[in-house]
Amino acid sequence: MSNWLNHQLQAIRLVLLRMRDNLLSSFMICLVIGVAMCLPSLFYIGIDSLAKLTNHMQKETEISLFLKLDASKNTISEIDALLANNSAIKQYHFVSKDEAWQQLQIKSKDDNTVGDVINQLGKNPLPDAFFIQANSSEPETLEALRIELQTIPGVEQALLNTEWAKRLATLLSLSKKLTFFIAILLAIVLLVIIGNTVRMQILTQKDEIEVSYLIGATRSFIRTPFLYAGMLYGLFGGLLAIVMITAIIQTFNYSVSQISHLYSSDFSLNLFNDRLYLAVITSAVVIGWAGSYVAVSRAITTALRN
Amino acid sequence: MIQFDQVTKRYPGSDEVLKNVSFSIDAGEFVFVTGHSGAGKSTLLKLIAATERPTSGTVLIANQNVSQLKASAIPFLRRRFGLIFQDHKLLYDRNCYENVILPLRINGVSGQEASKRVRAALDKVGLLHKEKAMPITLSGGEQQRLAIARAVVSRPSILIADEPTGNLDASYAADIMAIFYAFNQVGVTVIMATHDALGMSARQNRVLHLNQGRLSENMPSAESVLS
Repeated sequence: MSNWLNHQLQAIRLVLLRMRDNLLSSFMICLVIGVAMCLPSLFYIGIDSLAKLTNHMQKETEISLFLKLDASKNTISEIDALLANNSAIKQYHFVSKDEAWQQLQIKSKDDNTVGDVINQLGKNPLPDAFFIQANSSEPETLEALRIELQTIPGVEQALLNTEWAKRLATLLSLSKKLTFFIAILLAIVLLVIIGNTVRMQILTQKDEIEVSYLIGATRSFIRTPFLYAGMLYGLFGGLLAIVMITAIIQTFNYSVSQISHLYSSDFSLNLFNDRLYLAVITSAVVIGWAGSYVAVSRAITTALRN
Repeated sequence: MIQFDQVTKRYPGSDEVLKNVSFSIDAGEFVFVTGHSGAGKSTLLKLIAATERPTSGTVLIANQNVSQLKASAIPFLRRRFGLIFQDHKLLYDRNCYENVILPLRINGVSGQEASKRVRAALDKVGLLHKEKAMPITLSGGEQQRLAIARAVVSRPSILIADEPTGNLDASYAADIMAIFYAFNQVGVTVIMATHDALGMSARQNRVLHLNQGRLSENMPSAESVLS
C-alpha cells in the first residue's frame, strides 16, 4: 500500500517537474482548457440567473384590469361586485386614477427626466385599474380568467403580466439545451487536445517507456505518470477557467447592477457558484484523465511493438 | 533454471531465425552465446528475457512456461533478469543516479534502502564519484558500466548481456568482462552474446554457438584451459 502511494507521489512529482521545465507550453495547454471550459460556464451562469429572475416573476401572477378612461363611479362599483362574486379570484384591489397619478409622481421625484415628462403632461393620463390575484397559478386557467374579465363592459384591457416572462422562460430552456450541446462539443475538443498533448509527451519519452518495459515495468506503472499529466492539465485548466469566469462576472456585474438599478431590481450574477465550479473542475480532470488514457494505451501498444 | 526444448522462432515474413534449439542453463553458470551477426544470438536472448515468445517449442524459466504466461505476468518474470544492451539504452535526460534507480522504482523499493543500493551498484562498477553526472558526459566504457549498474541494482539472479563489449576498445572491454566475472563469482548466472572471442579464451566457459539458427555446443577445450 505504501509502495503504491509512493509510486503515485513520485509520478506526480515527476509530472510537475516536467511541467515546470516546459512552463510556457504547459501554461498554453491549461489556457486552452480554461477558455474551453469558460465559455459554456458563462452561458450557463447567464441563463441560470435569468431563469431564476423569470421564475420569481412568474410567481407574481397578477391580472391588471384597466378600465376605460371615461368609466363612471357606477361602472366601477358594478365591476367591483362582479369581481367579488368571482370564485376564481383570490383577492383584488382597486387603484383609482388619482391614486395612480400620485404614486407615479412620488416615484418619479428622484428622476428628473421622468419628472419633466409628467409635468409637461399636465393632466392625468392614467385609467382606473383593478389588480387581481387569482386562486390558480396555472397559465391556462389564468388565460381563461383574463379573457372572461376582458369581456366585462367598461374594461379597456385585461393584462396577464406573466406572458412575456413565460415566453422568456421558453427561450431560456431552449438556450439551456444549446449550452449543453456547446459544452459537449467543447468537451470533445478538450479530449482531443489533451490526448494529443499527452501523445506528444509520450513521443519524447519513448526511450523511457521502452527501457522501463524491458526491465519489468507493468503497463500501469508506465501509464501512471501520463494519466497524472492529463489530470493535472485538467485541474490547472479548470482552475484557470474559474479565475476567468470570476473575473468576467465581476466586470459584468458592475454594468448589470447599473441596468438593474434602473429597473429597481437587485439582480446580479452569482459570483460564487460553488456547485458549478466543482462541476467545471471535476469534468476538466475527468476529461484530462480520459484523453490521456486513450493516448497512452495506444502509444504503449505501438511503442512496444517496435 | 533456463530450459529450451526444441524452440523455433520465426518472425512474420522471414525464415526461421532459430531452428529446433534445445539446451539448459543451470544457476551460477557463465555461458557465452556466439555466432555471426544474424545467426540468432539476439533472438535467443530475447526469448530468455521473455521479450519474445517462441513460434514453437517450450521455454521454461524458473519452471515457468513463458508461452503460457499471461501478458500481465511477464513484467514480474522479467524482474528476475538484469538486462544489458549493446547500445546501453540509458536515459539521457537524467543523471547516473536517476538512471540506476529506475529498476528499484519499478520494483517498489524507495527511500534510504533505494539510495543505499544505487550507491552500492555504482560502487561495484567504479562510478560512485560520477553519481550526479549526466550519462552523455561519460565515455563509452563508463556508459556500459552504468548500464551494468542499472542491471544489477535490483539484485537479479540472471544477467543477460547482448554484446556488452561490442563497441568498446580492448582495455575497456577487459574492464567490463572483469565486472561480469566478479558477479558470476558470487553466484549470478551470466548469459552473454558476443561475436569476438575476447575474454573467452582465458577461462573455462561454456559456449552456445549459433550458425544460421542452429545450435552447436562447444565445451571448453583443453587448449583454452591451458593457455
